[in-house]
Amino acid sequence: MATTWTQQTLNHLRRTRAWKSIFRRGPARTNRTRSLAIFGNIFLHVLPVKVREKSLRLRATYYLGSFSFFLFVVLTVTGVLLMFYYHPAVPEAYRDMKDLRFVVANGVFLRNLHRLAAQVMVAAVFWHMFHVFFRGGYKPPHEFNWVVGVGLLLVTLFLSYTGYLLPWDQLAFWAITVGTNIISYVPILGHPIRFLLLGGNIIGENALLRFYVLHCVILPLAAVILIAVHFWRIQKDGGLTVREDHERKG
Amino acid sequence: MGKIPKRLRRAFAISSVLFLGVLAVSPVKDLLQEWKQSRRDYVRFAETRPDTKQLLADFHPGIDQIWIPEMNVTDRCTTCHQGIHQASLLDVSVPQPFRAHTPMPHQVEKWGCVVCHRGQGLATEVREAHETTLAWEQPLLPVRYIQASCGVCHRGTLPETPQLDVGRELLVKLNCAGCHRLEGITRPAMLGPDLTSVGSKASRAWFYKWLKEPRTITDSNGNTTVDGVENEEEPRMPQFRLNEKELRALSAYLSSLRTGPAETAKLDPRVVAALERKPDTVDQGEVRFRQMFCTTCHSVAVTRAGETKLIGGEIGPELTKVGSKVNPDWLLAWLRNPQASMPHSQMPRYGWSDEDLYKVTRYILSKLTDPDLMSDVPRLEGPAQEEIQLGQRLFLEKGCASCHFVKGVSPQADFGPNLSNLGSKTLSQLEFSKAKIPRTLIAYIQAKITDPVSVNPAARMPQYQLAPRHLEALTTALLSMTGGPSSSGLAKLVVPAPKPGFHPAGAFGEVYERYKCYVCHRFNGYGGTLAPDLSYEGSRAQRSWLVAFLKNPQTLRPTLTLRMPQFNMTDAEAATLADYLAMVTQSPAVNLGSVTSKDLTPEAARLGKQLYEVKYQCRSCHTIGSSGGYVGPNLTNVGNWMNAAWIEEWLRDPQGLVPGTIEPRRTLPEQEVTALAAYLMTLRQGGAAKPAAPGAGSAR
Repeated sequence: MATTWTQQTLNHLRRTRAWKSIFRRGPARTNRTRSLAIFGNIFLHVLPVKVREKSLRLRATYYLGSFSFFLFVVLTVTGVLLMFYYHPAVPEAYRDMKDLRFVVANGVFLRNLHRLAAQVMVAAVFWHMFHVFFRGGYKPPHEFNWVVGVGLLLVTLFLSYTGYLLPWDQLAFWAITVGTNIISYVPILGHPIRFLLLGGNIIGENALLRFYVLHCVILPLAAVILIAVHFWRIQKDGGLTVREDHERKG
Repeated sequence: MGKIPKRLRRAFAISSVLFLGVLAVSPVKDLLQEWKQSRRDYVRFAETRPDTKQLLADFHPGIDQIWIPEMNVTDRCTTCHQGIHQASLLDVSVPQPFRAHTPMPHQVEKWGCVVCHRGQGLATEVREAHETTLAWEQPLLPVRYIQASCGVCHRGTLPETPQLDVGRELLVKLNCAGCHRLEGITRPAMLGPDLTSVGSKASRAWFYKWLKEPRTITDSNGNTTVDGVENEEEPRMPQFRLNEKELRALSAYLSSLRTGPAETAKLDPRVVAALERKPDTVDQGEVRFRQMFCTTCHSVAVTRAGETKLIGGEIGPELTKVGSKVNPDWLLAWLRNPQASMPHSQMPRYGWSDEDLYKVTRYILSKLTDPDLMSDVPRLEGPAQEEIQLGQRLFLEKGCASCHFVKGVSPQADFGPNLSNLGSKTLSQLEFSKAKIPRTLIAYIQAKITDPVSVNPAARMPQYQLAPRHLEALTTALLSMTGGPSSSGLAKLVVPAPKPGFHPAGAFGEVYERYKCYVCHRFNGYGGTLAPDLSYEGSRAQRSWLVAFLKNPQTLRPTLTLRMPQFNMTDAEAATLADYLAMVTQSPAVNLGSVTSKDLTPEAARLGKQLYEVKYQCRSCHTIGSSGGYVGPNLTNVGNWMNAAWIEEWLRDPQGLVPGTIEPRRTLPEQEVTALAAYLMTLRQGGAAKPAAPGAGSAR
């Protein structure tokens, strides 16, 4: 039978030295070994060891947080691929956009996927926030995770904004002109912030480079750290906030 | 694991398949890209050609591009234009985009395509590469205007760019530089005529008429067309769209421009008295007018068989109705000394006798007239002071001062926009208003020249009536103004225009300047092209012949309608010119001492005569006496005219002496060269050189 065959192969693998060096523990057959397996894995340990079935139902969360995270992964993958074709410099930036269309295999798909995913992610993150808000997810003991979530919202928006300049077309240029002019209306600090963001007083090559670094390095790193904290705090704060009536039904 | 409901599993399976299907769209679209299809088409096309093997050997799948980093050129045009180098695909029957490029001075591999043709070299889609799209504003330059691209780098004239050269000449001739800044076109010393004392030249009514419609001749249908489009000679004055009030004001202002009393060039009263009553004075004037070849520079309308045509040159203004325009006193003073009233005038200062001057002015004032010229001009009173003031303001506002000098009136600097980068303007930089023209740069330029109001209701620019050929040439020249090719890395490739000049001083310089030789003749690359190049005249012509010719120019080519005017030079002036030409204008290829009379024996001349008449059939083009062709110059008097050494060198290598001459180069044996020269040197009219035609020099 197939099951025994796969079972046998797995058992055989578990006995190899390489497997043991990686996982250390034997098969997760008891609750204890199962939780140890989760704790002992850097990728899984941020997740709860135990999930209540009711919180897995579609109407409990609509999977909005997971969906946003999935989009973040898509954006990271397509973004890295796009970085292979892109120079953050003035004559090249726009030409690289066109080259994606003219010569790069599936370049249009790559770019559109990145753009579309970014737009959907903004929508998903907002929906996620409203959903959590109306469920009272900001109430104790979730206050801190709510604050982290707000931080993630801002990072998402800022990622979206910095990415807008990179095609270096008229739309990008004027959008950033408007955006940075708005910043300059902040009392006292407005102009210094704008100067810092643009690397000068006009939107030029410096601004493009700064936006590129923000978009590709600083903001994604911030997002990864905040996402990790966000996930970690879900289990530390005692799981998801699920509506009472769902709990009763469950 | 077994707890997952069947429904959910099925939904998961279906959505996975759908997702994969959506993902597959992109690679399929990738396969069907235009350039990939084009390359598949090329392979199929190559298989139908006889030289399939050769064509496919040069073919590789994938994108073809020409990359020239130092010029910032990345052209992928050859991805589709695959056969661009294939000599076997040159024929017009080869479908595009596979046809080869016609032979040209620049190689595709070295220059790419968009440097000359414009368009988007990086694009691999047909529309993006050739047209104006949302993301590209520099479409392909139509082949009709392709010479504009030559002009971006080549600032001088080229044999390959006749249209561009005509356009640049028009930019100068039409005084575009008066209002606009133009790359490579410098402001001439004089643009339009100096108007400082124009009030003493013509009447207010004439100014009114001229300002309203500068084209002065009316055809049988009442259309003012002849001095304009039909013979491709445009008046240099464009039409300003002036209303009645402006016309009155400007004509009032112009008629008020007088500098003291008009110079009265008095004729000898005895001459006037003797000729006044003679019935044939006007006819004699006409004869002198023709004999002096005024029409070499000035054109006059002639009506033959109901068709009106302008006959004559383009250097000076057209004179058909000048008698109704100019004031008699002014005309007299002008003909005596044009530079006195207009220092930059190109008109030579003729040596007149009072008789001739009287006859010619009488002819001009009584025959070159049109009694109906002012018929549509309203009655104009003496100019009122406020009209003059308004006129003076309009003179500046309308930009008249940009072309016309008036003492005490300083023109506004940069009156019109700078056009040095007009040729590289993008559509978003152009204002089309509601004009019903295609939204292209070329259509814009042409509308702006012929009907500026259509694209800009507030335009100050006047409108020009140009023949289609000239409009295209002018457009070409303007398209070549791309603001310098520095942006595309071509700056170091610019070939500047040579800046020749020939301004001799001294006795020769004085005569040369008086008769304005350079207006028609060229000296070492400087001067007009109407008449023969005189850079090597001293090698060609004998001094005695030069003197005789200058005193009485007879045409050497009877089929020409434009001939050298008779200037009525003094003996001393003719001698000065002839001495200078004989001494200075020598060709390094001709050694005048190399042929002596000893070489030119009668035996040789006999052989030469035979060669001339039989072997080489020279008379099919040249005339001797009364028989022969009219293609080359008349050789009846060549023995008095040319130097033997010049003739010999000419027979050896005519194009070496005069580049582009149609005289065939035959590589004659040296013996035949000497024989022909010996024969030609025997061809003399009346023995030695002397003024031939009666009446020559009779002006004194």
